[in-house]
Amino acid sequence: MRDWQELVRRELSELDLESHERADVIEELAAHLDDVYDNLRKEGLSEEESFQRSLSEVKDWRNLRRKIQIARRKETVAPQRVTQFWLPSFVTLSLSMIVLSLIGIFVHAHRIEPRSGWSMMVPPATIYMRWLLSLILIGATGAFLSQRAGGSQRAVFFSIVFPVMPYLAFFFVELPVMLLFNDQLAHIIMLPALFAGLVAWVLIPGAALLAGGLPAKLFLSRRSSTRGALAQ
Amino acid sequence: MIGAGIKRGTAELAVLSVLGDGALHGYEMARRIEQQTRGALRFTLASLYPLLYRMEKRGWVRGAWEMSPTGRRRRCYNLTPQGKKELAPIRKEWAELFRALRHLAEAPHA
Repeated sequence: MRDWQELVRRELSELDLESHERADVIEELAAHLDDVYDNLRKEGLSEEESFQRSLSEVKDWRNLRRKIQIARRKETVAPQRVTQFWLPSFVTLSLSMIVLSLIGIFVHAHRIEPRSGWSMMVPPATIYMRWLLSLILIGATGAFLSQRAGGSQRAVFFSIVFPVMPYLAFFFVELPVMLLFNDQLAHIIMLPALFAGLVAWVLIPGAALLAGGLPAKLFLSRRSSTRGALAQ
Repeated sequence: MIGAGIKRGTAELAVLSVLGDGALHGYEMARRIEQQTRGALRFTLASLYPLLYRMEKRGWVRGAWEMSPTGRRRRCYNLTPQGKKELAPIRKEWAELFRALRHLAEAPHA
């Protein structure tokens, strides 16, 4: 009896699919070859002739591998991108905005009437500092969600820092466009203020997100590699 | 013998049509198509499975492992409701094309 599974497994060894999916494809194609072979034998062909005729079902295994890969992966890439990047990014962005709003509501609800210029500065600074602290946890959440879905290093990184992307887009896309179309704005905005804004809304929050996200990613990577080693 | 280009175009119609009669696994499908087209359309393993997987991803067919009477596991394909919906317009399009080609072929040459 011919071991078609072994033959197909060998020919499709580089088939880049999830292991269970690859196993399914190999079993299915092997079963087909098995049927072709059996049928040719029933028709009276010799073992060798039946074997050669069955093999001729596939002229170019490399081409078949490529076609199967395209057919099976093309539309699974999108959901993977959703779970590995878009979903974690959406969660971190939403959390950062919700937390910022909640801290603002909480601080203003417990606000002491300002008596001096300094005390007027307290609420924004309090909001900002608490928000930064919360970003550490939010960054870790992004890393966890993306890593758990099997995201690449790039997907995990961008899921962590995604909450600062809208601010980055504001400074590098929206603002230059606004400056082009509004002459008055160029006189109002000062360069040091612009730089301070960039630091306060992009660089520092980005660092806070990474401060939570990178250790979480490192921890999760080590844990999964330890599990992998134990499984072997 | 039908040319390769037309065969490619009719492949989906062939698969959807034979599955319209009930669930089949890949080999049965290939045999059924060959018999019903009197050998004009012949699917090999290499031409059938990439097509089936594409159609499965589109949601036109659904494959499920079943145990055959001989005790072997076979992946059988069924038409999904979406596949059934696709079959009618594809049939109509091809019928129109072949009718047009027949008129052209039968037209007296000037």
